[in-house]
Amino acid sequence: MKGYLLRRAVLLVPTLIGISLLAFLLANLTPGDPAAEFLRRTTDQVPTPAQVAAERHDLGLDRPVPLQYLSWLGRAIRGDLGVSYTTQRSVTAELAQRIPATPQIALPAALLALLIGVTLGTISAVNRNRFLDQIVRIGALAGAAMPSFWLATLLINYFAVQFSLVPVAGRDQPSSYILPIVTLAVTPAAVLARFTRSTVLEVLGEDFVRTARAKGLRERIVVRRHALRAALVPVVTAFGTSLGHLAAGTVIVETIFAWPGVGKLALDSILERDYPVIEAFVVYTGITFVAISLAVDLSYVLLDPRVRIGAARQ
Amino acid sequence: MFTLARALSLALVLVLTAPGFGSVARSEAPKATANLTVGVSQDQYVLSGPRVGLGMYPLNANIFETLTYLSPDYKVKPLLAVRWKFRPPNTWRFYLRKGVKFQDGQSFNATAVKEGLFDRLAKIPGGSTVAAGPQSAIVVNTYTIDFTPTEKDLRVPEQLVHPSNGVVAPGTDPGKKPVGTGPFRFVEYLQNERIVVERNPTYWGAKARLNRITFRFYPDATTRRQALQAGDVDVIFEVSRPDVQSLKSKFTIMSSKVGAYEAMYANIHGQAPYDILHDVRVRQAIAYGIDRKLLVSRVLFGLANTSQSMVPPSSLSPYASLVKGYPYDPAKARALLDKAGWKVGSGGIRQKNGRPLKLTLVSGFPSAEVHRPIPVFLQSELKKIGIDLSIVERPDSASYQALITSGQGDLYLENGNQNDANPGFLPVLLFYTGGSGASAPYQKLFAPGPTFDRLIAPSLTEVNPKKVRKAVAEAMHYIVDKEAIVIGLAGIYRVYAMKRSVRGFVPHPSFISVRWDHVSLAG
Repeated sequence: MKGYLLRRAVLLVPTLIGISLLAFLLANLTPGDPAAEFLRRTTDQVPTPAQVAAERHDLGLDRPVPLQYLSWLGRAIRGDLGVSYTTQRSVTAELAQRIPATPQIALPAALLALLIGVTLGTISAVNRNRFLDQIVRIGALAGAAMPSFWLATLLINYFAVQFSLVPVAGRDQPSSYILPIVTLAVTPAAVLARFTRSTVLEVLGEDFVRTARAKGLRERIVVRRHALRAALVPVVTAFGTSLGHLAAGTVIVETIFAWPGVGKLALDSILERDYPVIEAFVVYTGITFVAISLAVDLSYVLLDPRVRIGAARQ
Repeated sequence: MFTLARALSLALVLVLTAPGFGSVARSEAPKATANLTVGVSQDQYVLSGPRVGLGMYPLNANIFETLTYLSPDYKVKPLLAVRWKFRPPNTWRFYLRKGVKFQDGQSFNATAVKEGLFDRLAKIPGGSTVAAGPQSAIVVNTYTIDFTPTEKDLRVPEQLVHPSNGVVAPGTDPGKKPVGTGPFRFVEYLQNERIVVERNPTYWGAKARLNRITFRFYPDATTRRQALQAGDVDVIFEVSRPDVQSLKSKFTIMSSKVGAYEAMYANIHGQAPYDILHDVRVRQAIAYGIDRKLLVSRVLFGLANTSQSMVPPSSLSPYASLVKGYPYDPAKARALLDKAGWKVGSGGIRQKNGRPLKLTLVSGFPSAEVHRPIPVFLQSELKKIGIDLSIVERPDSASYQALITSGQGDLYLENGNQNDANPGFLPVLLFYTGGSGASAPYQKLFAPGPTFDRLIAPSLTEVNPKKVRKAVAEAMHYIVDKEAIVIGLAGIYRVYAMKRSVRGFVPHPSFISVRWDHVSLAG
């Protein structure tokens, strides 16, 4: 196990270098000059060539691109992610401020999605081709197809504007969390419901389930203790992917609900050509996905006793 | 399964409720009724470095004040400077207001202005609109200061109105705790959430009528509108035009005079295939072929006028009428195109020597979203006179500027603001070829040439503001009416929406110059 974990940690390094290099190249290939963009926003005018040149020098953008990347990499290794072109604060400070806000809605949304998705998917599978199954399947289809910006606006309109039950946006009060969490949870819940239905149906046809029924166990026990556990491995994989996307920030929901999370930060940094923040976000996302992927792999051990992490091939 | 569900439910409750506690940075809003909440768009404050602007720009929280102020009719008014005088060849002498204190108790005087304004501007790499150097400001006496820009600049008082030229209290850190002389003082700032200010009890002028103002950041315009409808905020900025209809039955809608413009710039120096607009007849045909009254009434919901000057008429008064613009005359447009050799071909699109009259409209300043659905409207209008207009949208100004630099377009659609009192600022910056402070990419595409340069030159060499306005109006008459290089579409009003209980709000055509000291809440 320790060896496995160490190998995964070591593999993280070239992964991060690879994705940061790719992001750096793509950012530099995108049309638009970060210095000119910064000046336009902060001076409220189209900058002169002299001003742009001075700002490019100040931001280090007049150096060759490979040198810029190597310089960034050298500092990043030492924990210095540079200075944001937009706010002129350290990128580390920017990320430190924004990162905690995203899991505040992403984690509850993921858990809610898991709870609803697995429950409904199981109910749907057990009641295959009956009314409940049809309802869940239609609901899951609608949930998966529903655009989050539309759902968010709809929820705000009814629960905040018409009935004044929750605030429209922001995170001043505990009730502020409800609408963004529900909005975020709908699509992954729908996906997980469909996935769970599919895997549970598959497992319900297995011999060991037939055996459990033949032994006289109640259907509820057969589904909960036997079928569901076996069906959860692929569901956890799907959940891990959803969690990764949520943790990396959900731009649309954060924009609509004025949530100061890392997804909105990423969007703004792309629009403003804030290269240091783009790089830092890519690194953060890479680490997040790798960590979640590792957690998912480790969870297989808990769910399936046949799985041994790092066991020698037999 | 049940155990798992219970565990998940418990985790969910914990995670849902935990964030509500321990958020030590957030303060409870006071219950007094004289507290106003304003919904504004994205937080774009620069928090560090020489361009730091917390509380100053782009959201002006009235913490700082400038030496001069831009009135809603684009006049320069005294503020922290009571009067000023030009001393040739290039020095401005400002006589400062007495009896003013900074919010931390420091005295406001010439030394404070030198340190808190001009020396601050001098540290900006590449300079600001006001070109200050380390030796530019000289204290004459306690309340008199001389300022000599590093370049010849006869528009200093007009430029100093911009909130980014606020006077910062010496020795303070404007990125953490901004201290100025304004009617409100800083209370709290949560990045991307809110900035809170409270009445300054030692303000030199009439004390603010509000106890506290909370500016809340809502990047999405629909959310801002919903926040007003839900009662979460009292006032909102930058109301989108379709939202005005849904708000006006229950809320007060206030619009300013023209403060911005929608205009197309014609690429008159383009290389093939972007060389069609070299011909002034084609440009004029485009100008005649657009029904601006329809644009204003149907597309812009009446929240604009048909001004085509590209500079707000208020800032050109009393010479604004020199810029006539083009009436809607599709017959004349067709006649011009016929004369230019563009004959109607198959599908109603004109052709000349086998080449279709196809133009590319680039939309993206400040973003494509701001202009929608104007490009589609223009496409439909120009099709009626036989022009095939293809639309290229750019999501942000950076990628739009890249297309300006590459010259890959015939027409460029822009929405611009006039945020200071210098009417010639934008025409000089974009089109003037005589100085070093112009924008080379714009000149490459749009520069009208020596006649324009000669007409607008007095705006750079005259001290008298009236002569400046006349010169700019004459230059705009040339560039709009004669040459149709600037094809103005509409003068845009600034729209604010608020609860009916809000009193004393003056809708300024420049968002960044709104004053809150006269605003109050009834009831």
